[in-house]
Amino acid sequence: MSPMWGSTAQYEVIHWSWAIAVYLFLAGISAGSIIVALLVKWNRHERSNSSIWDAMIKSGTLVAPVSILAGLFLLVADLGRPLSFYWLLIRFNPLSVMSLGVLFLLIYTPIVLVFTLLVFERTIVKYTWLLPLGSFIEWVKSLHSYAKTIEYFLMAAALCVGSYTGFLLSALYAIPLWNSPVLPIVFLTSSISSGIAVNILIGLVFFKSTINTESIKYLLVLDLRVIMTELPLLGIFFVGLFYGGGEVSSVAKAALSHGGLALVFWLGVIGIGLLLPLATVILALRSHVYRVRYILTNATAVLLGVLLLRYYIIYAGQIYLG
Amino acid sequence: MAKAYRLIFDENLCIGCQACNVACRLENDVPEGVYRLQVHVTTQGVFPHLGMHFERRSCVMCDEPPCVSVCPTGASFQSKDGLVHIHESQCITCKYCILACPYHARFINPLKNVVEKCTFCFDSRLSKALDPACVSVCTTEALRFGDVSQENSAVAMLSRKETLLFPKAHLGTKPKVCFIPARKGVKV
Repeated sequence: MSPMWGSTAQYEVIHWSWAIAVYLFLAGISAGSIIVALLVKWNRHERSNSSIWDAMIKSGTLVAPVSILAGLFLLVADLGRPLSFYWLLIRFNPLSVMSLGVLFLLIYTPIVLVFTLLVFERTIVKYTWLLPLGSFIEWVKSLHSYAKTIEYFLMAAALCVGSYTGFLLSALYAIPLWNSPVLPIVFLTSSISSGIAVNILIGLVFFKSTINTESIKYLLVLDLRVIMTELPLLGIFFVGLFYGGGEVSSVAKAALSHGGLALVFWLGVIGIGLLLPLATVILALRSHVYRVRYILTNATAVLLGVLLLRYYIIYAGQIYLG
Repeated sequence: MAKAYRLIFDENLCIGCQACNVACRLENDVPEGVYRLQVHVTTQGVFPHLGMHFERRSCVMCDEPPCVSVCPTGASFQSKDGLVHIHESQCITCKYCILACPYHARFINPLKNVVEKCTFCFDSRLSKALDPACVSVCTTEALRFGDVSQENSAVAMLSRKETLLFPKAHLGTKPKVCFIPARKGVKV
Protein backbone atom coordinates (compact mmCIF):
# COMPACT_ATOMS: atom_id res chain seq x y z
CA MET A 1 0.00 0.00 0.00
CA SER A 2 1.34 3.42 -0.85
CA PRO A 3 1.62 5.60 2.22
CA MET A 4 -0.68 8.61 2.73
CA TRP A 5 2.39 10.42 4.08
CA GLY A 6 5.87 9.83 2.77
CA SER A 7 7.52 9.29 -0.59
CA THR A 8 8.50 5.93 -2.03
CA ALA A 9 10.18 7.41 -5.11
CA GLN A 10 13.71 6.85 -3.84
CA TYR A 11 13.08 3.11 -3.36
CA GLU A 12 11.98 2.66 -6.95
CA VAL A 13 15.08 3.97 -8.69
CA ILE A 14 16.80 1.54 -11.06
CA HIS A 15 20.36 1.93 -9.82
CA TRP A 16 21.96 -0.51 -12.23
CA SER A 17 20.63 0.27 -15.66
CA TRP A 18 21.08 -1.00 -19.21
CA ALA A 19 24.77 -0.02 -19.09
CA ILE A 20 25.42 -2.71 -16.48
CA ALA A 21 23.39 -5.23 -18.49
CA VAL A 22 25.51 -4.45 -21.56
CA TYR A 23 28.69 -4.68 -19.48
CA LEU A 24 27.69 -8.13 -18.18
CA PHE A 25 27.01 -9.10 -21.79
CA LEU A 26 30.38 -7.80 -23.05
CA ALA A 27 32.35 -9.36 -20.20
CA GLY A 28 30.56 -12.65 -20.93
CA ILE A 29 31.33 -12.40 -24.66
CA SER A 30 34.97 -11.66 -23.95
CA ALA A 31 35.43 -14.57 -21.56
CA GLY A 32 33.35 -16.87 -23.74
CA SER A 33 35.22 -16.08 -26.96
CA ILE A 34 38.59 -16.71 -25.30
CA ILE A 35 37.37 -19.96 -23.76
CA VAL A 36 36.16 -21.06 -27.20
CA ALA A 37 39.38 -19.94 -28.91
CA LEU A 38 41.44 -21.93 -26.41
CA LEU A 39 39.22 -25.01 -26.80
CA VAL A 40 39.67 -24.82 -30.57
CA LYS A 41 43.41 -24.33 -30.16
CA TRP A 42 43.73 -27.33 -27.85
CA ASN A 43 41.36 -29.67 -29.63
CA ARG A 44 41.43 -28.61 -33.27
CA HIS A 45 44.97 -27.51 -33.99
CA GLU A 46 47.29 -30.31 -34.97
CA ARG A 47 50.42 -28.50 -33.93
CA SER A 48 50.18 -26.25 -30.90
CA ASN A 49 52.66 -23.79 -32.40
CA SER A 50 51.05 -23.60 -35.83
CA SER A 51 51.45 -20.17 -37.34
CA ILE A 52 48.34 -20.44 -39.49
CA TRP A 53 45.69 -19.71 -36.94
CA ASP A 54 42.20 -21.08 -37.23
CA ALA A 55 39.57 -18.41 -37.92
CA MET A 56 37.93 -19.25 -34.59
CA ILE A 57 41.13 -18.43 -32.71
CA LYS A 58 41.57 -15.24 -34.69
CA SER A 59 38.04 -14.05 -34.00
CA GLY A 60 38.28 -15.04 -30.33
CA THR A 61 41.45 -13.08 -29.81
CA LEU A 62 40.01 -10.14 -31.72
CA VAL A 63 36.66 -10.06 -29.93
CA ALA A 64 37.93 -10.70 -26.39
CA PRO A 65 40.08 -7.58 -25.91
CA VAL A 66 37.73 -5.28 -27.81
CA SER A 67 34.65 -6.36 -25.86
CA ILE A 68 36.29 -6.35 -22.44
CA LEU A 69 37.79 -2.89 -23.00
CA ALA A 70 34.48 -1.55 -24.30
CA GLY A 71 32.72 -3.14 -21.33
CA LEU A 72 35.15 -1.67 -18.82
CA PHE A 73 34.77 1.76 -20.40
CA LEU A 74 31.00 1.47 -20.07
CA LEU A 75 31.34 0.28 -16.47
CA VAL A 76 33.50 3.23 -15.44
CA ALA A 77 31.31 5.67 -17.35
CA ASP A 78 28.27 4.36 -15.48
CA LEU A 79 29.78 5.15 -12.07
CA GLY A 80 28.25 8.14 -10.35
CA ARG A 81 31.78 9.56 -10.14
CA PRO A 82 33.70 8.04 -13.06
CA LEU A 83 36.91 9.96 -12.35
CA SER A 84 37.22 8.43 -8.89
CA PHE A 85 37.37 4.88 -10.33
CA TYR A 86 41.05 4.65 -9.30
CA TRP A 87 39.90 3.83 -5.77
CA LEU A 88 38.95 0.43 -7.19
CA LEU A 89 42.62 -0.12 -8.03
CA ILE A 90 44.20 1.08 -4.79
CA ARG A 91 41.72 -0.49 -2.39
CA PHE A 92 40.88 -4.15 -2.15
CA ASN A 93 38.06 -5.77 -0.21
CA PRO A 94 38.27 -9.57 -0.50
CA LEU A 95 34.64 -9.84 0.70
CA SER A 96 33.37 -7.72 -2.18
CA VAL A 97 32.69 -9.56 -5.44
CA MET A 98 33.22 -6.25 -7.25
CA SER A 99 36.73 -6.06 -5.81
CA LEU A 100 37.41 -9.66 -6.80
CA GLY A 101 36.12 -8.84 -10.28
CA VAL A 102 38.62 -5.99 -10.56
CA LEU A 103 41.37 -8.42 -9.55
CA PHE A 104 40.28 -11.02 -12.15
CA LEU A 105 40.06 -8.33 -14.85
CA LEU A 106 43.51 -6.98 -14.00
CA ILE A 107 44.94 -10.46 -14.54
CA TYR A 108 42.75 -11.41 -17.47
CA THR A 109 42.90 -8.31 -19.67
CA PRO A 110 46.73 -8.09 -20.11
CA ILE A 111 47.05 -11.81 -20.91
CA VAL A 112 44.28 -11.49 -23.50
CA LEU A 113 46.05 -8.51 -25.08
CA VAL A 114 49.32 -10.46 -25.33
CA PHE A 115 47.51 -13.46 -26.82
CA THR A 116 45.96 -11.13 -29.41
CA LEU A 117 49.38 -9.68 -30.31
CA LEU A 118 50.73 -13.18 -30.87
CA VAL A 119 47.87 -14.27 -33.08
CA PHE A 120 47.94 -11.10 -35.16
CA GLU A 121 51.73 -10.89 -35.29
CA ARG A 122 51.86 -10.95 -39.10
CA THR A 123 49.39 -8.09 -39.38
CA ILE A 124 51.20 -6.06 -36.76
CA VAL A 125 54.69 -6.34 -38.25
CA LYS A 126 53.37 -4.90 -41.51
CA TYR A 127 53.06 -1.49 -39.92
CA THR A 128 56.28 0.32 -39.16
CA TRP A 129 54.74 2.47 -36.44
CA LEU A 130 53.92 -0.73 -34.55
CA LEU A 131 57.57 -1.89 -34.60
CA PRO A 132 58.15 -1.63 -30.84
CA LEU A 133 55.33 -4.14 -30.47
CA GLY A 134 57.22 -6.46 -32.80
CA SER A 135 60.17 -6.72 -30.44
CA PHE A 136 57.77 -7.22 -27.54
CA ILE A 137 56.16 -10.08 -29.46
CA GLU A 138 59.62 -11.59 -30.07
CA TRP A 139 60.29 -11.44 -26.35
CA VAL A 140 56.95 -13.10 -25.57
CA LYS A 141 57.69 -15.79 -28.14
CA SER A 142 60.95 -16.57 -26.37
CA LEU A 143 58.76 -17.75 -23.48
CA HIS A 144 57.04 -20.31 -25.69
CA SER A 145 58.01 -23.19 -23.43
CA TYR A 146 55.55 -21.78 -20.89
CA ALA A 147 52.82 -21.32 -23.51
CA LYS A 148 50.61 -24.15 -22.34
CA THR A 149 50.83 -23.07 -18.69
CA ILE A 150 49.91 -19.50 -19.63
CA GLU A 151 47.01 -20.80 -21.69
CA TYR A 152 45.69 -22.83 -18.76
CA PHE A 153 46.06 -19.75 -16.60
CA LEU A 154 44.17 -17.66 -19.17
CA MET A 155 41.43 -20.30 -19.29
CA ALA A 156 41.09 -20.10 -15.49
CA ALA A 157 41.02 -16.29 -15.61
CA ALA A 158 38.37 -16.38 -18.36
CA LEU A 159 36.24 -18.78 -16.32
CA CYS A 160 36.53 -16.36 -13.37
CA VAL A 161 35.54 -13.36 -15.51
CA GLY A 162 32.66 -15.31 -17.06
CA SER A 163 31.22 -16.34 -13.71
CA TYR A 164 32.07 -13.44 -11.38
CA THR A 165 29.34 -11.32 -12.97
CA GLY A 166 26.87 -13.91 -11.70
CA PHE A 167 28.36 -13.90 -8.21
CA LEU A 168 28.30 -10.09 -8.31
CA LEU A 169 24.51 -10.27 -8.42
CA SER A 170 23.94 -13.44 -6.39
CA ALA A 171 25.88 -11.99 -3.44
CA LEU A 172 23.02 -9.58 -2.69
CA TYR A 173 20.43 -11.16 -0.42
CA ALA A 174 18.40 -7.96 -0.56
CA ILE A 175 17.40 -8.87 -4.13
CA PRO A 176 15.55 -12.20 -4.23
CA LEU A 177 15.79 -12.75 -7.98
CA TRP A 178 19.59 -12.38 -7.92
CA ASN A 179 20.28 -14.22 -4.68
CA SER A 180 20.47 -17.65 -6.30
CA PRO A 181 23.48 -19.98 -6.34
CA VAL A 182 22.51 -21.04 -9.86
CA LEU A 183 22.91 -17.55 -11.36
CA PRO A 184 26.72 -17.68 -11.81
CA ILE A 185 26.44 -21.02 -13.64
CA VAL A 186 23.66 -19.63 -15.83
CA PHE A 187 25.82 -16.61 -16.68
CA LEU A 188 28.93 -18.69 -17.37
CA THR A 189 27.00 -21.09 -19.60
CA SER A 190 25.37 -18.31 -21.56
CA SER A 191 28.67 -16.48 -21.93
CA ILE A 192 30.25 -19.59 -23.45
CA SER A 193 27.25 -19.75 -25.76
CA SER A 194 27.76 -16.12 -26.76
CA GLY A 195 31.48 -16.79 -27.24
CA ILE A 196 30.72 -19.56 -29.73
CA ALA A 197 28.23 -17.35 -31.56
CA VAL A 198 30.45 -14.30 -31.78
CA ASN A 199 33.47 -16.32 -32.91
CA ILE A 200 31.51 -17.96 -35.70
CA LEU A 201 29.99 -14.62 -36.68
CA ILE A 202 33.28 -12.71 -36.78
CA GLY A 203 35.07 -15.69 -38.33
CA LEU A 204 32.56 -15.86 -41.18
CA VAL A 205 32.68 -12.15 -41.79
CA PHE A 206 36.41 -11.39 -41.49
CA PHE A 207 38.47 -14.57 -41.66
CA LYS A 208 36.62 -16.65 -44.23
CA SER A 209 39.83 -17.90 -45.86
CA THR A 210 41.06 -19.66 -42.72
CA ILE A 211 37.73 -21.18 -41.72
CA ASN A 212 37.90 -24.86 -41.07
CA THR A 213 34.49 -26.53 -41.47
CA GLU A 214 35.57 -29.16 -39.00
CA SER A 215 36.04 -26.57 -36.28
CA ILE A 216 32.69 -24.98 -37.17
CA LYS A 217 31.12 -28.38 -36.75
CA TYR A 218 32.97 -28.83 -33.47
CA LEU A 219 31.61 -25.50 -32.26
CA LEU A 220 28.06 -26.19 -33.39
CA VAL A 221 28.08 -29.47 -31.44
CA LEU A 222 29.46 -27.56 -28.46
CA ASP A 223 26.75 -24.93 -28.94
CA LEU A 224 24.09 -27.63 -28.94
CA ARG A 225 25.41 -28.98 -25.65
CA VAL A 226 25.64 -25.52 -24.09
CA ILE A 227 22.07 -24.64 -25.07
CA MET A 228 20.85 -28.00 -23.78
CA THR A 229 22.58 -27.16 -20.49
CA GLU A 230 21.32 -23.60 -20.32
CA LEU A 231 17.64 -24.46 -20.81
CA PRO A 232 17.39 -26.79 -17.79
CA LEU A 233 19.62 -24.43 -15.78
CA LEU A 234 17.14 -21.60 -16.30
CA GLY A 235 14.40 -24.03 -15.25
CA ILE A 236 16.33 -24.96 -12.11
CA PHE A 237 16.94 -21.26 -11.43
CA PHE A 238 13.22 -20.47 -11.31
CA VAL A 239 12.19 -23.71 -9.62
CA GLY A 240 14.72 -22.87 -6.91
CA LEU A 241 13.11 -19.46 -6.48
CA PHE A 242 9.61 -20.98 -6.32
CA TYR A 243 10.77 -23.33 -3.58
CA GLY A 244 12.26 -20.34 -1.73
CA GLY A 245 8.82 -19.59 -0.32
CA GLY A 246 7.31 -16.31 0.82
CA GLU A 247 8.36 -13.23 -1.07
CA VAL A 248 10.94 -15.13 -3.12
CA SER A 249 8.20 -17.28 -4.70
CA SER A 250 6.01 -14.28 -5.41
CA VAL A 251 8.94 -12.41 -6.95
CA ALA A 252 9.66 -15.34 -9.28
CA LYS A 253 5.99 -15.57 -10.26
CA ALA A 254 5.78 -11.84 -10.95
CA ALA A 255 9.02 -11.82 -12.94
CA LEU A 256 7.72 -14.61 -15.18
CA SER A 257 4.19 -13.35 -15.67
CA HIS A 258 4.03 -9.54 -15.37
CA GLY A 259 4.33 -6.96 -18.09
CA GLY A 260 6.98 -6.36 -20.67
CA LEU A 261 9.80 -8.00 -18.77
CA ALA A 262 8.06 -11.38 -18.76
CA LEU A 263 7.70 -10.94 -22.52
CA VAL A 264 11.42 -10.20 -22.79
CA PHE A 265 12.10 -13.45 -20.96
CA TRP A 266 9.72 -15.77 -22.79
CA LEU A 267 10.04 -14.30 -26.26
CA GLY A 268 13.58 -12.93 -26.16
CA VAL A 269 15.56 -15.18 -23.85
CA ILE A 270 13.74 -18.50 -24.34
CA GLY A 271 12.29 -18.07 -27.85
CA ILE A 272 14.91 -16.14 -29.80
CA GLY A 273 17.90 -16.87 -27.58
CA LEU A 274 17.54 -20.61 -26.98
CA LEU A 275 14.79 -22.36 -29.00
CA LEU A 276 15.54 -20.69 -32.36
CA PRO A 277 19.31 -21.44 -32.17
CA LEU A 278 18.51 -24.95 -30.98
CA ALA A 279 16.39 -25.51 -34.08
CA THR A 280 18.98 -24.05 -36.48
CA VAL A 281 21.86 -25.98 -34.92
CA ILE A 282 19.99 -29.27 -35.12
CA LEU A 283 19.03 -28.48 -38.72
CA ALA A 284 22.61 -27.62 -39.69
CA LEU A 285 24.10 -30.67 -37.99
CA ARG A 286 21.46 -33.02 -39.40
CA SER A 287 21.85 -32.00 -43.01
CA HIS A 288 25.65 -31.58 -42.71
CA VAL A 289 25.24 -28.36 -44.64
CA TYR A 290 26.78 -25.40 -42.93
CA ARG A 291 24.85 -22.86 -44.88
CA VAL A 292 26.07 -19.38 -44.05
CA ARG A 293 22.54 -18.07 -43.65
CA TYR A 294 21.64 -20.71 -41.05
CA ILE A 295 24.78 -20.13 -39.11
CA LEU A 296 24.48 -16.35 -39.17
CA THR A 297 20.86 -16.57 -37.99
CA ASN A 298 21.94 -18.89 -35.23
CA ALA A 299 24.76 -16.68 -34.04
CA THR A 300 22.74 -13.46 -34.12
CA ALA A 301 19.86 -15.09 -32.24
CA VAL A 302 22.19 -16.46 -29.57
CA LEU A 303 23.83 -13.07 -29.04
CA LEU A 304 20.50 -11.26 -28.82
CA GLY A 305 19.23 -13.87 -26.35
CA VAL A 306 22.29 -13.58 -24.12
CA LEU A 307 22.02 -9.78 -24.08
CA LEU A 308 18.31 -9.98 -23.25
CA LEU A 309 18.98 -12.47 -20.45
CA ARG A 310 21.35 -9.97 -18.78
CA TYR A 311 18.90 -7.15 -19.37
CA TYR A 312 16.01 -9.17 -17.96
CA ILE A 313 17.86 -10.29 -14.84
CA ILE A 314 19.21 -6.79 -14.11
CA TYR A 315 15.85 -5.06 -14.44
CA ALA A 316 13.52 -7.75 -13.07
CA GLY A 317 15.76 -8.09 -10.01
CA GLN A 318 15.46 -4.40 -9.17
CA ILE A 319 11.76 -4.08 -10.04
CA TYR A 320 10.38 -7.19 -8.33
CA LEU A 321 11.64 -6.93 -4.77
CA GLY A 322 8.77 -8.71 -3.00
CA MET B 1 34.67 1.09 25.95
CA ALA B 2 32.80 0.49 22.71
CA LYS B 3 29.21 1.67 22.73
CA ALA B 4 26.19 -0.47 22.02
CA TYR B 5 23.86 2.10 20.55
CA ARG B 6 20.19 1.38 20.19
CA LEU B 7 17.35 3.45 18.80
CA ILE B 8 13.87 2.36 19.81
CA PHE B 9 10.83 3.53 17.86
CA ASP B 10 7.57 3.03 19.72
CA GLU B 11 4.77 2.66 17.17
CA ASN B 12 2.22 3.18 19.95
CA LEU B 13 3.48 6.66 20.77
CA CYS B 14 4.12 7.91 17.22
CA ILE B 15 1.50 10.34 15.91
CA GLY B 16 3.02 10.73 12.44
CA CYS B 17 3.87 14.43 12.89
CA GLN B 18 7.10 14.11 10.80
CA ALA B 19 9.02 16.38 13.16
CA CYS B 20 11.83 13.78 13.07
CA ASN B 21 11.83 13.85 9.28
CA VAL B 22 12.03 17.67 9.19
CA ALA B 23 14.69 17.82 11.92
CA CYS B 24 16.79 15.30 9.96
CA ARG B 25 16.55 17.35 6.78
CA LEU B 26 17.58 20.54 8.57
CA GLU B 27 20.39 18.95 10.54
CA ASN B 28 21.91 17.10 7.58
CA ASP B 29 21.03 19.36 4.63
CA VAL B 30 19.18 16.55 2.89
CA PRO B 31 18.33 17.67 -0.67
CA GLU B 32 14.77 17.82 -1.90
CA GLY B 33 13.24 14.58 -3.10
CA VAL B 34 15.37 12.19 -1.05
CA TYR B 35 15.12 11.12 2.57
CA ARG B 36 17.52 9.85 5.21
CA LEU B 37 14.53 9.35 7.44
CA GLN B 38 10.81 9.39 6.93
CA VAL B 39 7.81 7.97 8.72
CA HIS B 40 5.42 6.30 6.34
CA VAL B 41 1.85 6.70 7.46
CA THR B 42 -0.68 4.19 6.17
CA THR B 43 -4.30 3.46 6.96
CA GLN B 44 -4.97 -0.15 7.66
CA GLY B 45 -8.04 -2.29 8.18
CA VAL B 46 -11.56 -2.27 6.77
CA PHE B 47 -14.10 0.45 7.63
CA PRO B 48 -15.20 0.97 10.37
CA HIS B 49 -12.28 -0.89 11.96
CA LEU B 50 -9.52 1.34 10.77
CA GLY B 51 -6.14 2.03 12.27
CA MET B 52 -3.13 4.14 11.49
CA HIS B 53 0.23 2.55 11.01
CA PHE B 54 3.52 4.40 11.38
CA GLU B 55 6.67 2.96 9.94
CA ARG B 56 10.11 4.52 10.37
CA ARG B 57 12.18 4.22 7.19
CA SER B 58 15.86 4.87 7.74
CA CYS B 59 19.20 3.14 8.04
CA VAL B 60 18.92 0.61 10.87
CA MET B 61 22.69 0.53 11.56
CA CYS B 62 23.26 -3.21 11.23
CA ASP B 63 25.87 -4.92 13.36
CA GLU B 64 26.42 -7.18 10.34
CA PRO B 65 26.01 -4.66 7.51
CA PRO B 66 25.76 -6.07 3.97
CA CYS B 67 26.56 -2.62 2.57
CA VAL B 68 30.03 -2.71 4.14
CA SER B 69 31.02 -6.17 2.93
CA VAL B 70 30.08 -5.44 -0.70
CA CYS B 71 31.86 -2.07 -0.92
CA PRO B 72 34.88 -2.50 -3.23
CA THR B 73 36.77 0.56 -1.97
CA GLY B 74 36.10 0.50 1.76
CA ALA B 75 34.18 3.79 1.47
CA SER B 76 31.32 2.13 3.29
CA PHE B 77 32.74 1.18 6.67
CA GLN B 78 31.85 0.30 10.23
CA SER B 79 33.29 2.26 13.14
CA LYS B 80 34.48 0.81 16.45
CA ASP B 81 31.08 1.60 17.93
CA GLY B 82 29.45 -0.50 15.21
CA LEU B 83 28.03 2.50 13.36
CA VAL B 84 28.04 2.33 9.58
CA HIS B 85 29.39 5.40 7.82
CA ILE B 86 30.50 6.46 4.33
CA HIS B 87 33.82 8.09 3.43
CA GLU B 88 32.58 10.52 0.81
CA SER B 89 35.94 10.94 -0.89
CA GLN B 90 36.40 7.19 -1.43
CA CYS B 91 32.89 6.56 -2.71
CA ILE B 92 32.87 5.97 -6.46
CA THR B 93 29.06 5.79 -6.52
CA CYS B 94 28.98 2.30 -8.00
CA LYS B 95 25.64 1.87 -6.21
CA TYR B 96 26.47 -1.71 -5.14
CA CYS B 97 25.74 -0.87 -1.47
CA ILE B 98 22.38 0.69 -2.35
CA LEU B 99 21.36 -2.59 -3.98
CA ALA B 100 22.79 -4.66 -1.13
CA CYS B 101 20.77 -2.88 1.57
CA PRO B 102 17.62 -4.86 2.46
CA TYR B 103 16.17 -1.74 4.15
CA HIS B 104 16.55 0.56 1.11
CA ALA B 105 18.19 3.06 3.42
CA ARG B 106 20.72 4.39 0.96
CA PHE B 107 20.29 6.85 -1.85
CA ILE B 108 22.38 9.09 -4.08
CA ASN B 109 22.66 12.67 -2.89
CA PRO B 110 21.78 14.44 -6.15
CA LEU B 111 23.90 17.49 -5.28
CA LYS B 112 27.12 15.71 -4.28
CA ASN B 113 26.59 12.58 -6.38
CA VAL B 114 27.68 10.31 -3.54
CA VAL B 115 25.83 7.63 -1.63
CA GLU B 116 24.28 8.88 1.58
CA LYS B 117 22.21 7.64 4.49
CA CYS B 118 21.41 8.20 8.17
CA THR B 119 24.50 8.53 10.37
CA PHE B 120 22.69 8.93 13.72
CA CYS B 121 23.87 12.56 13.20
CA PHE B 122 27.33 11.37 14.16
CA ASP B 123 29.44 14.36 13.10
CA SER B 124 27.17 17.16 14.20
CA ARG B 125 25.59 15.69 17.33
CA LEU B 126 26.45 12.16 18.47
CA SER B 127 30.19 12.79 18.60
CA LYS B 128 29.35 15.68 20.98
CA ALA B 129 27.30 13.35 23.18
CA LEU B 130 24.01 14.74 21.82
CA ASP B 131 21.12 12.54 20.70
CA PRO B 132 20.39 12.34 16.97
CA ALA B 133 18.23 15.24 15.73
CA CYS B 134 15.16 13.02 15.19
CA VAL B 135 15.26 11.79 18.77
CA SER B 136 15.78 15.25 20.23
CA VAL B 137 12.66 16.68 18.57
CA CYS B 138 10.28 13.75 18.96
CA THR B 139 7.16 15.27 20.50
CA THR B 140 5.83 12.11 22.14
CA GLU B 141 9.08 10.37 23.12
CA ALA B 142 8.29 7.70 20.56
CA LEU B 143 12.01 7.73 19.75
CA ARG B 144 14.51 6.72 22.42
CA PHE B 145 18.22 6.55 21.87
CA GLY B 146 21.17 5.48 23.99
CA ASP B 147 23.70 2.87 24.96
CA VAL B 148 22.12 -0.48 25.93
CA SER B 149 25.32 -1.59 27.61
CA GLN B 150 24.62 1.09 30.28
CA GLU B 151 22.20 -0.67 32.63
CA ASN B 152 20.42 2.51 33.66
CA SER B 153 20.01 4.10 30.25
CA ALA B 154 16.47 4.70 29.07
CA VAL B 155 16.92 2.31 26.13
CA ALA B 156 18.25 -0.47 28.37
CA MET B 157 15.31 -0.15 30.73
CA LEU B 158 12.85 0.00 27.85
CA SER B 159 14.50 -3.04 26.25
CA ARG B 160 14.00 -5.05 29.45
CA LYS B 161 10.37 -4.01 29.73
CA GLU B 162 9.09 -4.19 26.18
CA THR B 163 9.00 -6.72 23.39
CA LEU B 164 11.28 -5.36 20.70
CA LEU B 165 11.02 -6.20 17.03
CA PHE B 166 14.09 -5.95 14.83
CA PRO B 167 13.26 -5.28 11.18
CA LYS B 168 13.98 -8.21 8.85
CA ALA B 169 15.69 -10.02 11.74
CA HIS B 170 15.69 -13.27 9.75
CA LEU B 171 18.42 -11.82 7.52
CA GLY B 172 20.87 -11.80 10.42
CA THR B 173 21.85 -8.17 9.93
CA LYS B 174 21.33 -7.39 13.65
CA PRO B 175 19.93 -3.86 13.39
CA LYS B 176 20.51 -1.25 16.11
CA VAL B 177 17.19 0.37 15.26
CA CYS B 178 14.20 -1.58 16.54
CA PHE B 179 10.58 -0.94 17.27
CA ILE B 180 7.89 -1.64 19.79
CA PRO B 181 5.00 -2.91 17.65
CA ALA B 182 1.54 -1.36 17.88
CA ARG B 183 -0.52 -3.12 20.54
CA LYS B 184 -3.84 -2.26 18.91
CA GLY B 185 -4.14 -4.33 15.79
CA VAL B 186 -6.49 -4.09 12.86
CA LYS B 187 -7.21 -6.63 10.19
CA VAL B 188 -5.01 -5.71 7.29
